[in-house]
Amino acid sequence: MTTAPRAFLLTDSADGALAEAAEILQMDIVRVNPASELPASIDAHASVRVIVVSTDNPSLLRSIVEHAGARGIPVVLAGENDIAYRRAIEFRVDDWYLAPATPVEISWRIRSALARVAAQTIGPTHRVDRAEYEEMLYDPLTGMATLPVVLERTRGLIKDRGEVIIHYLNFVRYSKIEEIYGWEKLDQVLETTASAVREFLDSRSLTTTRMMVGFPNDDDFIFLQIPDKGQPMPTDAQITEAGRQLQSFVGNRLEEVHGEDVSSLFDIFIGSAHVYYTPKIRFERLIYRGVREAANAARSVEQRERVRRTATLKGVLHEGSVYIDFHPIVLSESGDIFGYEALARGVPRNLRSPEVMFEVAAEADLVWELSRLCRARALAGAKELLRGEQLLFLNVDPHDFADPGFGVLDSIDPRRIVLEITERTAIKDYPKFRERLRSFRERGFRFAVDDAGSGYAGLGSIANLEPDFIKLDISLINSIDTNFIKQNLVETMVGFAKEQGAMVIAEGIERSEELETVKRIGVPLVQGFLLHHPARAGAMAGVHAGRQ
Amino acid sequence: MDRSSAPSILVVDDNDDNAEIVRALLESRGFPVLVAHDGDEAIALFESARPSLVLLDVLMPRRSGWEVCRLMRQHPEHGRAVRIIMLTALAEWNDKQSALQTGADDYITKPIDLADLELRVRRNLALVTPHA
Repeated sequence: MTTAPRAFLLTDSADGALAEAAEILQMDIVRVNPASELPASIDAHASVRVIVVSTDNPSLLRSIVEHAGARGIPVVLAGENDIAYRRAIEFRVDDWYLAPATPVEISWRIRSALARVAAQTIGPTHRVDRAEYEEMLYDPLTGMATLPVVLERTRGLIKDRGEVIIHYLNFVRYSKIEEIYGWEKLDQVLETTASAVREFLDSRSLTTTRMMVGFPNDDDFIFLQIPDKGQPMPTDAQITEAGRQLQSFVGNRLEEVHGEDVSSLFDIFIGSAHVYYTPKIRFERLIYRGVREAANAARSVEQRERVRRTATLKGVLHEGSVYIDFHPIVLSESGDIFGYEALARGVPRNLRSPEVMFEVAAEADLVWELSRLCRARALAGAKELLRGEQLLFLNVDPHDFADPGFGVLDSIDPRRIVLEITERTAIKDYPKFRERLRSFRERGFRFAVDDAGSGYAGLGSIANLEPDFIKLDISLINSIDTNFIKQNLVETMVGFAKEQGAMVIAEGIERSEELETVKRIGVPLVQGFLLHHPARAGAMAGVHAGRQ
Repeated sequence: MDRSSAPSILVVDDNDDNAEIVRALLESRGFPVLVAHDGDEAIALFESARPSLVLLDVLMPRRSGWEVCRLMRQHPEHGRAVRIIMLTALAEWNDKQSALQTGADDYITKPIDLADLELRVRRNLALVTPHA
């Protein structure tokens, strides 16, 4: 530690919580009484870092803000009531809180005021509105500080040590989670991720300072690693190994909390950059340059992994190593199994998720091959699984219809098959596509529109496909019991389906409250972990035989 | 601090007449009501008063109700707990989708039917988890 004098916090308040907050921030507190002395004290003390004011005298407050503003010192207002808040806005203080407040909350406010002033000196010169600042400084979801805050806090440490390692954690396919499950789910997943990353870092007894940084409303994190004086910097091999361990730690935690379907979508790529301090280059520029370098490194790791995965997929196609999980769709009133959705999974762990496997296939132009293999497996499994009138729901890509080998089935009656087309894939040539659907329909196949209601397209595009089944998007079902807009949209869809002669399926039912709500709305078919988990045909047949 | 036991409601509408009608109804039903006339004022009051429910007009100058809703949801301590009802003249499928995307819990179509408003306020408050 340096022996420089500690920063001062100047205040007219005698609040004990404020004193504790100053302790958290490692600042000395200087009390000025009466408050009218504050403006003069600001000018008198050289090392004042922040001012916390509790006065309810507006002209005095104005004078304090002016004096502080002239020296670039942030002002935090400790208000007692709503009037204080209006003043806070009117006089443009840097932050405020409602007293009494906890020491932690006060320290949080002071930090954000400090960071706000720091950000103004490096950021755009115009004043941004308060709420947007808040977003810039702390990621609301993960509670992590953003870069301007961290730079302020670590500046001294980095100069002292002379170097820092910047790690860039690139979380891929989180946008996919949002696309499939909706933003509420993504929020939960991000929270889990952030806390897992933090736990991982805390559990490792590195004699270093580590600062997590979140990017507001984005999926990526960075963290700065500053080894204590006298400790060696980690080697590249150590950094790579730590990244590998972090990946499996976070992956396992996601699987525990959110299940395999979500965790198998998850990937993390870590890039690092070593930055040496030099007084010739502006500190902020140095760090931002390092962040860019680390981000590029993370991207090249991702590229290598992509190549590796394509090779794995080719192996899967060659050996036929995919298997099918069947996920029951049940009648919501009786709970009887109405049919099964076939979910194709790759045997290698990194292709376990159907979404990922098909994404890799699309990049490598291998979708037809993969689709054929998956369909053949699904039909073989269904043959032993389906009883009575039960149906097989098969996911198909609109491009599959152009495959001459598609729809040639000798093992199973087409009337037992429902082809699921996702609303997400853009269908370019509608008339031609409908023509193809018609020829399949004539042979007895039925159709379902998958992920219905996921976009803004409305009901017209669904009507266009004349489906027999409408599968509601998972995002509409997640927490439907507490969201009345979702309930209204699903009601609309149920009414629409009746007019069209189609049946609605609610998938992604995970809680009994969700099941009760969709039953009350009149959704006839349901699917989800609450009712059944997906399983292989053999296991499924056994379970159901045992139940009878 | 003065905090009564009934859950408080923040009404945000740039039209004074609308805001007053809604305030009068809700106060007559015993709810403490705060009124904000634009987005910035709404966010400041949201942060200071921590209302249990916000009635938020979509069409406002400067910050739209959508933006205000999104900002409130991002509040680190209170963003999840609050119930947000949008007041809007637009109630097509895609308008409701946008309401969902910004994080709203419910919506009321304008012109406002006061009986409907009261019903929706009550059913949303019923889902507020009581906490200190």
